[in-house]
Amino acid sequence: MHKLTNLMYQNSIFRNISVHIIVLFLFTSFLSVSCRNSEEQKRPSVMKEMIKPDTLSMLLKYDNSLFPLPSPYQAAFLIKKHEIPFNENLLNPTENKQKYTTNFKKALNLGVYGTNLSYLNIYERTPQSINYLSTLKKLSDELGLSPAFNASFFADIEKNIGEKDSLLVLLSRTYRKADGYLRESDRGEIGALILTGGWIESLYVLTQLAKVTSNREIINRIGEQKHPLDNVIEVLTPFYYKSTEYSTLVDYFIELAYEFDGIIYSYSYKPPKIDIENKIMFINSESRVIMSEYHLDAISKKVEQIRNMIIE
Amino acid sequence: MKLTNKIFSFSVIIVFLTFGTSSLVKAQLEQLQNICSLYFSPEFISDGQEYFAQLKPDQKVEFRTTFFGENTYRIVACTNLRKGDLVFTVYDTEKNLLFSNSDYEYSPYWDFRFGSTITCIIQVDVKSSKFIPGYVMLLIGYKP
Repeated sequence: MHKLTNLMYQNSIFRNISVHIIVLFLFTSFLSVSCRNSEEQKRPSVMKEMIKPDTLSMLLKYDNSLFPLPSPYQAAFLIKKHEIPFNENLLNPTENKQKYTTNFKKALNLGVYGTNLSYLNIYERTPQSINYLSTLKKLSDELGLSPAFNASFFADIEKNIGEKDSLLVLLSRTYRKADGYLRESDRGEIGALILTGGWIESLYVLTQLAKVTSNREIINRIGEQKHPLDNVIEVLTPFYYKSTEYSTLVDYFIELAYEFDGIIYSYSYKPPKIDIENKIMFINSESRVIMSEYHLDAISKKVEQIRNMIIE
Repeated sequence: MKLTNKIFSFSVIIVFLTFGTSSLVKAQLEQLQNICSLYFSPEFISDGQEYFAQLKPDQKVEFRTTFFGENTYRIVACTNLRKGDLVFTVYDTEKNLLFSNSDYEYSPYWDFRFGSTITCIIQVDVKSSKFIPGYVMLLIGYKP
């Protein structure tokens, strides 16, 4: 009797578990289908009709502030504009990739190599670009970024390897996709490192070229990195205590920020002009950067120090 | 036995609510990415970031960004909020108003041509006190 009661009890438990598992399976299947269906309805003609409200909290920014960084590829356009000769020594050699065994170094150098690729691209160095692309692929795989750096991205890049502007558009879009993917999968620190690596590499290239060319526009562009640097520090600061690697990196950027304090900035507001038909606003306000050779030299040395620490 | 069943049932509900919730949220965010991308023309190069924030009543999102001179930028701001118009406003660091889409039928995007490098403050909020909270997304792109 006792055994029969136990058996009946076990059957009852088993039935309950089975029912719950079936319900769970049906619910998740429903969700997968509904998510796929929502993707298929991708191109709405009227935005409001397809919007469904979402009241759930998931992503938070620090005190509701966001910290954008300028695209590192904008430096490539500036260099191209001044027809400065190509210098292979400015690149981080792809052979260095094997030194990067931690996600910290891999993420930083995914950014670095992306900037290198944009530099190669403006000089139409196709064979080297392919080599850097291959390195990007390996790093992105090791960081688990295949959803962003997927087969279709590399296929598109190879098709456009000779098309300067198309490659930059593709690269930027993919880095943006990776940024979104990393935030969604709660790996924001990797996204922050990729952005940081790309930014510091572009600043390194600019400082090295400024030393050689003394080009005023390049020197001014270096000086204009003060606020982006503040944003780099803001982006990395939440991870300061994650490890000594992070705290060292942030400390170096703070030291760099002190060097930027010596630069003089002037700004004068002028009313903007609007072209409503073309949806464009012309911002006429003016700014000036006044940076001494001393400060340029100090900034260049500090940037080189940070960059070498990242790529070694 | 009844208590065990209840605990088990409760646990299962929590598990599929959590899983279900995060899947719904992810779908909402993907939807938002698709919406914003519609206004991001191919000639604009992304700055490589996606800016997400959640907005609640009386809340504003604000950030500073540097726009380099002799470039044209596009700012796209989109949302899945209901019962409210998304407002994005651009100020300079002296708080001079440079642009607000509330003056132009709450257009989800606008282009800006900068003659000089300017650091701007972009503010995003919603023009209604009765809106249902949701997400906003911003994209910034440039062309030389």
